[in-house]
Amino acid sequence: MSEPSVVDESHRLLLEATTSRGRRVRNKLATVWMVGALVVALIPLAWVVGYVLIKGISSLDAAWFTEELTATTRRAGGGMGPAIVGTLVITAGATIMAVPLGILGAIYLNEYGGNGVLARVIRFMSDVMTGVPSIVMGLFIYTVYTVNFGQNGFGGSLALACLMLPIVIRSTEEMLKLVPDELRQGSYALGNRKWRTIISVVLPAAFGGIMSGVMLAIARAAGETAPLIFTIGAARAFNANLFEGQMTALSTQIFSNARVPFPAAQDRAWGAALTLVAIVFLFTVAARIVSARVARRHNA
Amino acid sequence: MRSTKRHPLVWLVALLAAVGLLGAACGSDDDSSSGSSTPPGTSASGGEIDYEALSGTLSGSGATFPSAFYEEAIAEFQDVASDLEVLYNAVGSGQGKKDLGSQITQWAGSDSLVAEKDMGMFTRPFLYIPTVAAPITISFNVSGLDELDLSPDTVAGIFMGEITTWDAPEIEADNPDADLPSTAITVAVRSDGSGTTNNFSKYLKAASPSVFTLEAGDTVAWPKAQAGNGNSGVAQIVSQTDGAIGYVDLSDANATDLDQASIKNKDGEFVAPTLEGATAALEGAEVKADLTYNPLNAAGESAYPITAPTYVLVYTTYSDQATVDNVTGWLTYLLTDAQDLAEGVDFAKLPTTLQEKAMAQVAKITVG
Amino acid sequence: MVAPLTDEPKSPTGRSEDMASAMSSGRGGRGDTVFRAVAAGAGLLVLVVLALIAVSTTREAWPAFQEEGIGFLTSTSWDPAAGEFGALAFIYGTVLVSIIALVLSVPVSLGIALYANEAAPKRLRKPIVYVLDLLAAIPSVVYGLWGVLVLAAVLNDQVYVRFNDWFGSWPVLGWFFGGSTGPRSFMTAGIILAIMITPIITSLSREVIATVPSAQREAAYGMGATRWEMIRASVLPWARGGIVGSVMLGLGRAMGETIAVALVIGSFPQITTHLFEQGDALAAVVANQFGESSGTHRAALVGMGVVLFLLTILVNVSARAIVGHFDRRSKGA
Repeated sequence: MSEPSVVDESHRLLLEATTSRGRRVRNKLATVWMVGALVVALIPLAWVVGYVLIKGISSLDAAWFTEELTATTRRAGGGMGPAIVGTLVITAGATIMAVPLGILGAIYLNEYGGNGVLARVIRFMSDVMTGVPSIVMGLFIYTVYTVNFGQNGFGGSLALACLMLPIVIRSTEEMLKLVPDELRQGSYALGNRKWRTIISVVLPAAFGGIMSGVMLAIARAAGETAPLIFTIGAARAFNANLFEGQMTALSTQIFSNARVPFPAAQDRAWGAALTLVAIVFLFTVAARIVSARVARRHNA
Repeated sequence: MRSTKRHPLVWLVALLAAVGLLGAACGSDDDSSSGSSTPPGTSASGGEIDYEALSGTLSGSGATFPSAFYEEAIAEFQDVASDLEVLYNAVGSGQGKKDLGSQITQWAGSDSLVAEKDMGMFTRPFLYIPTVAAPITISFNVSGLDELDLSPDTVAGIFMGEITTWDAPEIEADNPDADLPSTAITVAVRSDGSGTTNNFSKYLKAASPSVFTLEAGDTVAWPKAQAGNGNSGVAQIVSQTDGAIGYVDLSDANATDLDQASIKNKDGEFVAPTLEGATAALEGAEVKADLTYNPLNAAGESAYPITAPTYVLVYTTYSDQATVDNVTGWLTYLLTDAQDLAEGVDFAKLPTTLQEKAMAQVAKITVG
Repeated sequence: MVAPLTDEPKSPTGRSEDMASAMSSGRGGRGDTVFRAVAAGAGLLVLVVLALIAVSTTREAWPAFQEEGIGFLTSTSWDPAAGEFGALAFIYGTVLVSIIALVLSVPVSLGIALYANEAAPKRLRKPIVYVLDLLAAIPSVVYGLWGVLVLAAVLNDQVYVRFNDWFGSWPVLGWFFGGSTGPRSFMTAGIILAIMITPIITSLSREVIATVPSAQREAAYGMGATRWEMIRASVLPWARGGIVGSVMLGLGRAMGETIAVALVIGSFPQITTHLFEQGDALAAVVANQFGESSGTHRAALVGMGVVLFLLTILVNVSARAIVGHFDRRSKGA
């Protein structure tokens, strides 16, 4: 989408010379709206991030990342290391399950299923599932998994994966739909089979959009509390093993500490909040950089 | 040459030994030792338990009301039983019971009893072990007022939304000497289901049945009130709103520095929400055979009428000796050494009689 | 979230596949079969998982449905202690705060998405993307806490009280701004939700708008259009399907958001048009009451989840109908 500045400038002059005042006013208003929208979004962003930063920064020291959680929340002490590990491991587990399945499912819907009965049913169910409250997903996993296999990180990953799946499917399908058919036909004309076309032409073309959808799903999963509370337990020690032993996560720590009215607990809650926002944001930034690099290599 | 006939004294000793062994075999419910150097004590004194020999993980979940006390006990217990990790997930009494019923935890904390229709959750018999109790305060924030006396009917009227200003005649009747402002009353309640709500509403039903006509339970259909999440949420509403009144457990009320009302008890005395008042209420309460008791609206001159009990639920049998050791070790600690920690976190320890009954209950836990 | 807006999917499987198989040799067809099987398998697995969720939750909620019957959906009385479980006030609350969230968020999201693609200086594009990523990175519980500790009080004192004073007694506006005000209210929940769903709608819309072919844009400019006219003529029609899809995803999030709404909505189920008063919503009440519930109460709360399925279906079907109506109108022109 190139916009050479010379064309811009001459275009602007041409417009001024040929457009009626009404049209120019409407154009100006639209610009005001667009810029204004950005400003409006910046206000809560700065407010929330600023608040989290101010309230959370004092908690972050070396011990924060390396020590186990304290048993007594009302007093200062202990760290958040196990919760950080927990969030990373559980979210990673959920991502590994939900993203490939979701993308493949969307490929089926858009490239193979079309308007067939199976595709329509899957699409319908995904639509319905995007509105399910996270606590219901947590309860589902509790009933199906936790009761039989105990409280461990994997239960949490399953619950989060259930949350992520509809988001990944629906957003990926929308992005695949937008890939122009000419690209596919061009690829077939070169002698590529369908599967080859999907993998080497369609997916890369939709890559940026798919990434955005996946990032949103991961950010959602990392920040959810309710599905984790009764599936992962409440560990205090480090545990990177998804399948054995209880775990804890930053999101659940934020919630449980925020409910204790003692300053030490409040500080801990906001420190955990800051840590979580930082982790998710840094991950998103890293993913976008990688995504840009892949896109550049593909376009080159 | 010695005669083969034994000396009569030897026979006597042998007889006594045989009787002693028989008595021990019949009276003891100790299974064959599993290798721990000291079998867990089953008597009232905690000193017989070798905490250091306990190992593994003991998972529990349940009520948030007593979690401050359990946290404190867990922290101290870590020092005496360094190989045993005790976990407690404060998810609510209902979920705690469900976790125990599904056997993904070994102990549950609950402010309420298991309802008859929910008994099916449990596949084997379980026990109620009382641990601590605490007052539920009626905290208020009215500029100019430091102290407040309230009778049950007045409290009920306020929470029913029938008394709407601080200078209402009912409040004046309870506080004849006070200078009451005409500020509007803002009622603060819990937005989430809670054992605290359960006990508070049960108290109102018992002490003021004619005024409090709502159903008691974990969730009450309060007429319009400000709702906060958790005890701390209610405390926050009270502390930030002039004219607010709400029910908050003692621990959170003290942490938020709230003024607390003295409530008229069954004997007609206005009692402040102190640990002494709570202990008096516990002493005046009737204890059933399964150790459940109701200190709400208890008799006794110095009893604080809104004292809430809390229990630990455990099974009577567990499948292996190690778990039995861990459970009995933890419970014994809770009922003995940990009781001294209660006051520091604004909980009332059990009166001796109740504590002894609880210890006897713990002794019933075996392998099965 | 609206399944293909037009009747044919964007990549008609018919013609391309014929061409592909006609042009390629028989060997290598195995790759296609395998891949198709894998994709279909994934689709089936997705279906199984989603169906399992639907079935399992309905089963768990059944005792409550049996006890209440249709009253579960039509009664406004929610009193678990008395055994009454009516979800109507919560359905109303969910719908109301979702509408508020959409009304506030869609213009903002669309504006940012368009700005990022069409009007922003090139060097601002990346920062805008990161701004949105940062908004999305904030966990819902943090939005809820910030909402109840900071935003709610400010909104009440600075905005609600003023609107209530000025417009409370006016004829139509009074419906919305009249009544009493409080920090925890429908409006606060709606605003928090709007902030939360903006990154979703913006991010996906932005990606969609970025795929508009330059040829379309150039064509409009070539005819002397202003930027806004070009957007209306080339960008929006092309991107409309994707934008609607992103709005539906945002709406789904708004309807299902649990903790943030639970903390700021007031937890007082009632049906009223007064936006500054307390209310309650389906997902919020489940989050609030679940931990302490048991028996029929617990089943009823799970039933709220099932009601949300039904509500989402209803919303989807309506959206499809509305968009389809506009589609037919524009196609007929």
